[in-house]
Amino acid sequence: MTTVAELNSGHMPQWCPGCGDFGILIALKGALAKLNISPEETVVVSGVGCGSKIPHFIKTCGFEGLHGRSLPPATGIHLANNKLTVVAIGGDGDGCGIGLGHFMHTMRRNLDFTYIIQDNEIYGLTVGQASATTKKGVITKSTPHGTPEDPINPPLMALSAGATFVARGFAGDIPHLTDLIAQAISHRGIAFIDCFQPCVTWRKDLPYDLYQKKCYKLEKEGHDTSNWDAAVARARETERWPIGVFYKIDKPIYTDQIPFIKDTPIAKQDISNVNIDKFVEEFL
Amino acid sequence: MAVVNRLNCKIGGAAGSGVAVLGALFAKCLQRAGLEVVATNDYPSLIKGGHNTHKIGASAEPMSAIVGRYDLLIALDKLTIELHAQELNEGGAIIYDSDKVKNAEELASRKDIMLVGSPLTQMAAKAGGEIMFNTVALGAAMGMMNVDFSIMEKLLTSIWARKGQKVIDANIAAARAGYDSVKAQNGSFRVQIQEIKGKKPQMFINGNEASVLGAVKAGCKFVAEYPMSPSSSILHLMAGHDFDYGIIVKQTEDEIAAANMIAGAGAAGVRAMTATSGGGFALMAEALGLMGIAEIPAVIFESQRAGPSTGLPTYTEQADLLFALHASQGEFPRVVIAPGDPLECYKEAINAFNIAEMVQTPVIVLLDKFLSEASLTIEDVRVIPAKVDRGKLQSDEQMEAQPGFKRHTFTEDGISPRSIYGQKNGMYVCSSYEHDETGFSSEAPDMRVAMIDKRAKKLKSIPDYIIAPSFSGADEAEAQILLVCWGSTKMPMVESLKLLAADGIKARMMHIRYASPFAARAVLSALTKAKKTMIFEGNSEAQMRTLILQKTGYHIENAYLRYDARPFKPEEIAEAAKKMLKK
Ligand SMILES: Cc1ncc(C[n+]2csc(CCOP(=O)(O)OP(=O)(O)O)c2C)c(N)n1
Ligand SMILES: [Mg+2]
Repeated sequence: MTTVAELNSGHMPQWCPGCGDFGILIALKGALAKLNISPEETVVVSGVGCGSKIPHFIKTCGFEGLHGRSLPPATGIHLANNKLTVVAIGGDGDGCGIGLGHFMHTMRRNLDFTYIIQDNEIYGLTVGQASATTKKGVITKSTPHGTPEDPINPPLMALSAGATFVARGFAGDIPHLTDLIAQAISHRGIAFIDCFQPCVTWRKDLPYDLYQKKCYKLEKEGHDTSNWDAAVARARETERWPIGVFYKIDKPIYTDQIPFIKDTPIAKQDISNVNIDKFVEEFL
Repeated sequence: MAVVNRLNCKIGGAAGSGVAVLGALFAKCLQRAGLEVVATNDYPSLIKGGHNTHKIGASAEPMSAIVGRYDLLIALDKLTIELHAQELNEGGAIIYDSDKVKNAEELASRKDIMLVGSPLTQMAAKAGGEIMFNTVALGAAMGMMNVDFSIMEKLLTSIWARKGQKVIDANIAAARAGYDSVKAQNGSFRVQIQEIKGKKPQMFINGNEASVLGAVKAGCKFVAEYPMSPSSSILHLMAGHDFDYGIIVKQTEDEIAAANMIAGAGAAGVRAMTATSGGGFALMAEALGLMGIAEIPAVIFESQRAGPSTGLPTYTEQADLLFALHASQGEFPRVVIAPGDPLECYKEAINAFNIAEMVQTPVIVLLDKFLSEASLTIEDVRVIPAKVDRGKLQSDEQMEAQPGFKRHTFTEDGISPRSIYGQKNGMYVCSSYEHDETGFSSEAPDMRVAMIDKRAKKLKSIPDYIIAPSFSGADEAEAQILLVCWGSTKMPMVESLKLLAADGIKARMMHIRYASPFAARAVLSALTKAKKTMIFEGNSEAQMRTLILQKTGYHIENAYLRYDARPFKPEEIAEAAKKMLKK
């Protein structure tokens, strides 16, 4: 039985008091415990940013890669050993700025893992520049006249790329987020969660109570998660901010196309003496 | 008097006209006849149009580069005759399509060669399709040299086996038509081929193919790659054999993804590789450092092309040596191997995967366009011992017994026992940040120094015999000159030694394969004992000379540098050495 206590790494998170990343960490642990997933068979893969330090604060396997590059190693780990539970996670700068290319391509592959964006609409770790999700007109250190361009909409991008599970969560609603993450991990295929993450230091203009006021739950209002157009319409809303599952469908996953890992992942296959006779014959 | 079993042939035509296919069939026929064969190509970065050539050298003796003028020219267009007729030996021959080229005499403008025109395309159409005109040309060429027809028949049967009997029969008919069409010239051509029987079958293979074969033998299970000439055939060959050998082959969105994917796969415990050229390698630089600091084994094949930037995509150069050695910020151990011929590609691919796991760090195998696409006959690689050594990778059983396991434990040789994801007690965070023994971030000054030292130490455990340079030619004591080269320059240099020996000059070659770790003592010893030294490199800055100076303090005064994006010729190496000796 995996418990939340068991998932404590023993390292104190180095986030600002009140940071939304605490809520996300608690929800991630809760989801793993809820699903009773073995920590040894779980890999939390991140990039670089405040939020990306999360692998150190949860007692599972971890991969803390390069800024913007959480998804390629997550893909490599998943394909190397598709029996593992892989959760990729990182900031909005990580996923929608420097790593946007990987984001789109990973969404279209329907690999069987989860990707969470800790979306605080700012570059936290580098002390407060505008990110790709910062709304137009917001004054940050790098945009003293206000952000000059419109933001990227992560759920909309994921939907357009063909993701088979697209959701949004809020770090201030931990039970709801825990459930979302559990659903995402359980989903067979790529699962994406854009997670509102209040930054109490650099986005004082986006406090918890504003999120609370603006957010509403899709499941409460009634939303057909199998309807892509409806999902797109919800994802495009700007006045009110929907949280919950936008879209979920079942489709064959990437690894269904790889017959030789049905039983044994490549990481566990014997390589001590590969027979290359047939290959050599091609050159004789 | 005919020359027996010594042939140089050039095939030319427009890009996309079948030069490559004909070249491959031609070379393969001679290989099946028991000869040693070398084949190289030259083509612009175009799909259609532009002038392509394939050069094939064949001999009864081992050879690694084409020496001398050509005996046979197969011209698939007019331009080939115009451009290359002057490269023929006296008594040489040009095979061409007499329907397409009416003024061959005028184009060739010499009388001392044979012009063998036949309606190749028409004959192909009769045999079943114009597309087989190069099979007709092949038949004609083999007929001129009296190669036993059954060799061609067998070859065509095996090559077209997948397409069914009809295609096989049509191709054999096309070859037969070409073969019979030169009956009149039969015996009068200056080169005749006599099958060498009773020889063990040899492989005919290029650098990229041999690298792939080595990687497969080494147990590579994951390939992530973004196409880039001249490395793309590695991707194609791997993708074409993925199900046969249980290898996951992923074409990625870019080279950044490729490098980061193999980092993840490497950490998860599979032997993983990517292949690229200089431009793609530039994009991998940051991930290279990640593998370094996080102690992840992975193998990167970098086939150099002429740079900088997009450069000359289908032409060769040896100008990424110092880049491969220094790419990425900070300091970390890396291994850089530059094999010299296809056989070494096979062996070093296996070494690369073993070393990557033994040392837990990235290994770069430096190829170049010339080596990637130069085909040579080599011994059947199955006779070469190939051991898979996974270093300190811990088995599931070993991990069970290690509570409190620390992934980056300090050890005597700097190499820590290695767990992979999913193993009991093996949990850790594999991090791009500096870290302590457990993998947890640490910025403490002492820890920093300890970790840098730990990682740097690891290269020392690679045995000397693996990294030692190789020598051939005259003995150390009697050699008048030591010729130094690295990577693919070995192939023409080996042949240049023979030319020099024929002129009574005792020359010795030192071929450096490992740029990192560098066999400084062995290299210095050879240089200081030599009467004269001279280095040959395919770049303009003498990068290996710089490295040798840096590692040994020895400055090789004489450098012969070629940077017109073409490979060295044995003759020019021999000439340069002779000139130097006269000084
Ligand atoms: C290649 C590269 N460029 C820039 C940086 C500097 N950098 C580190 S984190 C970061 C942005 C962080 O923002 P985000 O991803 O949103 O994460 P947050 O800190 O907000 O959680 C940047 C620009 C880096 N580490 N690597
Ligand atoms: Mg952010």
